[in-house]
Amino acid sequence: MNHAIISCLHANLPAAKAVLNDIDRQGIDTITCLGDLVGYGPQPNEVVELIRKRGIATCQGCWDEDIIDGLNACECSYPSQLAERRGHLAHQWTDDQLTDENKSFLASLPTSLRRDRLLFVHGSPNSQHEYLLPDMDAFAALERVETAGADILFCGHTHQPYVRELRDGSIRVRLQNADHECDQGEELTLPMRKIVNAGSVGEPRHGSTNATYVIHNDATDEVEIKEVPYDVGRTCQAIVEAGLPKVFAWRLSHGFEFAEQAEDASHVCER
Amino acid sequence: MIERWALVSGLLGDLEAYDLIQRDLKKTRGVTSLFVLGDLVGPERNCDALLDRLKNPHRGDLKPDCIYGWWEEQLLAERGFRGERKADALRLSQGEDAVNALLNTVNPSNLNWLASLQFGFIELDCALIHGSSSDVGDNLTSETSPLILLDRLTRLNVNRLFTARSTKQFHLELTGGGINSQVKDLNGKREQQQEVPKRSVIGIGAGLNYTLYDVGSDKTHFLTAGSKTNPKRKGFA
Ligand SMILES: [Zn+2]
Ligand SMILES: [Zn+2]
Repeated sequence: MNHAIISCLHANLPAAKAVLNDIDRQGIDTITCLGDLVGYGPQPNEVVELIRKRGIATCQGCWDEDIIDGLNACECSYPSQLAERRGHLAHQWTDDQLTDENKSFLASLPTSLRRDRLLFVHGSPNSQHEYLLPDMDAFAALERVETAGADILFCGHTHQPYVRELRDGSIRVRLQNADHECDQGEELTLPMRKIVNAGSVGEPRHGSTNATYVIHNDATDEVEIKEVPYDVGRTCQAIVEAGLPKVFAWRLSHGFEFAEQAEDASHVCER
Repeated sequence: MIERWALVSGLLGDLEAYDLIQRDLKKTRGVTSLFVLGDLVGPERNCDALLDRLKNPHRGDLKPDCIYGWWEEQLLAERGFRGERKADALRLSQGEDAVNALLNTVNPSNLNWLASLQFGFIELDCALIHGSSSDVGDNLTSETSPLILLDRLTRLNVNRLFTARSTKQFHLELTGGGINSQVKDLNGKREQQQEVPKRSVIGIGAGLNYTLYDVGSDKTHFLTAGSKTNPKRKGFA
């Protein structure tokens, strides 16, 4: 059976509607959302209400968490001080706009969802703020999936969709301890695991303005990355009219984060 | 200079044990540094005398460099040094009495010094931490999955991680292996191969059990202070 995974809607209503239409058109009725319903974009209430109305199973994103808990993330979440200041501005604006009811909905979201061997999280099983980038250390990537006890890990947060297969892994070890000087070497065979990043519906950064999401077939394990065009201009205009930083509109109309990359992708926020 | 480190942890306020280790080290050739990797304090006995000795070494003592461990973390959290966090881990695992016992073992005048201790040291290409960079309570042993051990090394980007939380003594070397990965995105597919880097995790022991590490030759020696069968008498060059 095909099911769809969406992430990082970021208060972009035209993009959210376009993606849900695309999914409906294919007759897929199981949808899982990996969070970041709000932040950056101009329609936070509308997007939260759309997800609530459709009853889409959702886990909590980094923005959803910060709106509830306040901005106590360490600066590691932001690639630069400039980005941090803009992030704070958007945070304040979103906080002012969201109704109490929608805030309690965000607060009620779980940090992960599990269906058999499939695990759904926003950033990583460790934290909503950890980036699992496509080229991160392969052993560290496998460790995230394996320690969480999953076969396939679905995540978002990077806004770049990808499917990563980790296979044919092994680690050889040699042990010396207090009792015996040196042990024979041992070899551990590592299991095959997959990480699927759903990209971003409302704030894509993969080099195109199209919204992205993924479809997974749970019988064949095939994953398709989908791109959906939507009226980017309308969202950009709404961003400017709302008084949000213009760079958010610029970014939407280019589809990437200009000159700003998270410096240490493997950093885990320890707040 | 050829460096030889002594690594100690889990004294839990036991000044006698520390004194035995210092005596041992005096008889051992070439020890250049003494690292105390946390758990200076514990709930069993009054810890002030040990803390005084660590802060003000006796003449002839090897001067200790200390970091904080799991017990200090519990104590400092309960005493309000960790924001809103309290000694939750201790309370959960051992109950309210254990928290109170711990509070009574350290004079409040020692708290600021304990709070000034760092989480870990990075020396050369080695990390010295009570647990791991993941958590001060991260309980790494030789039984821990090598995948997790490798992850802890990768997070710090070091070749050797010295850890104390498990109280066990071990030297586990990652000697080989690899992994293939394929990434598919909207630009196409790419393959990557990665090898296991030659790295190790070393458990240094606790209390009287301590470890000597020869930096140049990457050799560890697991010792017990005051023991007659001390392997140092075998004479390693
Ligand atoms: Zn996001
Ligand atoms: Zn996020």
